[in-house]
Amino acid sequence: MQSSTILSVQNVCKTFPTRGGGVEALRDVSFSVARNELCVLLGPSGCGKSTLLNIVAGLHTPTSGTLSLEGRPIHGPARERGMVFQSYTSFPWLTVLENVEYGVKLNGIPKAERRERALHYIGLVHLTKFRDSYPKTLSGGMKQRVAIARTLANAPEILLMDEPYGALDAETRWHMQEMLLDIMRTTQTTILLVTHDIQEAIFLADRIVFLSAHPGRLKTILELDFKKGKEIRSKEDLVELSGYPECEREIMQLMRGEAKQEEDA
Amino acid sequence: MTQALRTLPATRAKDTRPKLRIFEFKSDIPASWRLTLGVAVWILFFAIWQIAAWSGVMPAILLPGPGKVLTALYTLFAENGFLGDVMVSVWRVMFSFALACAVAVPLGILMGAFKSVEAFFSPFVSAWRYLPAPSFIPLLLMWFGAGDAQKLALLFIGVIWFLITLIADHTKAVPKDLINTSVTLGGSRWQVLRTVVVPAALPNIVIAMRQMLAVSWTYLVIAEITAADAGIGAMMMRAKRFLHVDQIMAGILVIGLLGLIFDYLLRALHRRAFQYLDEYS
Ligand SMILES: Nc1ncnc2c1ncn2[C@@H]1O[C@H](COP(=O)(O)OP(=O)(O)O)[C@@H](O)[C@H]1O
Ligand SMILES: [Mg+2]
Repeated sequence: MQSSTILSVQNVCKTFPTRGGGVEALRDVSFSVARNELCVLLGPSGCGKSTLLNIVAGLHTPTSGTLSLEGRPIHGPARERGMVFQSYTSFPWLTVLENVEYGVKLNGIPKAERRERALHYIGLVHLTKFRDSYPKTLSGGMKQRVAIARTLANAPEILLMDEPYGALDAETRWHMQEMLLDIMRTTQTTILLVTHDIQEAIFLADRIVFLSAHPGRLKTILELDFKKGKEIRSKEDLVELSGYPECEREIMQLMRGEAKQEEDA
Repeated sequence: MTQALRTLPATRAKDTRPKLRIFEFKSDIPASWRLTLGVAVWILFFAIWQIAAWSGVMPAILLPGPGKVLTALYTLFAENGFLGDVMVSVWRVMFSFALACAVAVPLGILMGAFKSVEAFFSPFVSAWRYLPAPSFIPLLLMWFGAGDAQKLALLFIGVIWFLITLIADHTKAVPKDLINTSVTLGGSRWQVLRTVVVPAALPNIVIAMRQMLAVSWTYLVIAEITAADAGIGAMMMRAKRFLHVDQIMAGILVIGLLGLIFDYLLRALHRRAFQYLDEYS
């Protein structure tokens, strides 16, 4: 394993206990995430992506297998693994500034530093004008930006995102994806992001971990070599890159292969 | 640009301005209409009442007109010290309700937040909920006599079980993702409870209080009528002995008005305290 590995997931299995004997959601999944990398978990709906991300976050415990962050085993949720959910999780009773300060405050950072950090990240997601607004006045995309700023302000070692743009309209989604890449570049963050959107995966990922359906198994890991060393700032940049159509076609075939197995089963 | 995209000339849209109609599913009506219609129903009610009183379908002593009732109301306050009765009733509702909330709010929140607390209390609370509070009146009379204690106890057991259940349900409805957000930011159990669960459930808890306060008024009247010592209900029972139907009706009027005022106050408090909610934009 490379020395730059920050997150390591080994032989993780998860079976949810149910009355009918249990639902097997994940079977023997292993992969790792390198520092400052944006790793995407991709796979058809219901293949166990959220379950896997929740296990990394510490919200679920695996039935078997081990996980570690920086060599330390993962037990339960902690500040070092920040999470952004698909649903809007800005606290409606707090202003944007108070929302972003929330996590920092939980961890007992003194007021002056807390304020400074929050304002920095609010600026990073372009919400400075709205720092004193309540979430009800914000659009869906802005609420997700609050959630991202709040998590980053808490200085996690890895940022976990579960279909963060799934509820947004297409144009807002592009905008948010471009902003995320910008933030990655300026803050040197490590991100593990879940999606079932192929374009989103190709646009954002340095590496794609592809899961197969029922139960979720590691199908393949795709290195996006055609993007290496290229400056990609917008969706248009990506679409014009040689190698993009082939990459998209390959992943589509992977997805369809999964869908077909579903039908046959 | 390639030729892959072709633009078509825009066609002019038809004039589709909506017409104003009286009956339209779920669509809003002008504020002035709302006010006019709201006042109209009361005018109609008083008119029918007055006509019924004039027509003589019932003896005047059993069915006084609205004018007589208003006069009786004035006399009650001006000459019979009715204000004292009203204050007694209001105090009983407020005090018993405060006691009920002091128990129900913490207990309901803990039951909604932790399955173990719910598993312990829920069978007990549910069972009590199905016992009608008035069935305890004979017992309470023997234990506490006909004074304040009996009334406070009845009001308390009349609302507490439903209040606990409603608050627990509202707490349970706090989105899991809000809780997990705090947990993944490093929140301890106590921090999550204090900074997420309570503020997220609070607006609905206040609504539950508003609903149960209305129920509390119902039990108040029952308590004061069955063991009349003081209060609005007691005044009505005294009036019944002397066939003062106008005073009985005045009592009903005052109870209705008080209920309305309390409901309005709690509504205003809700709007003030929870301005950040979507529904107040
Ligand atoms: N709490 C749970 N109890 C039982 N089964 C679950 C639970 N959570 C998820 N599952 C099952 O595990 C599988 C994977 O779910 P999930 O991780 O949400 O998939 P994805 O995020 O890839 O769409 C699904 O079949 C789902 O029904
Ligand atoms: Mg999911």
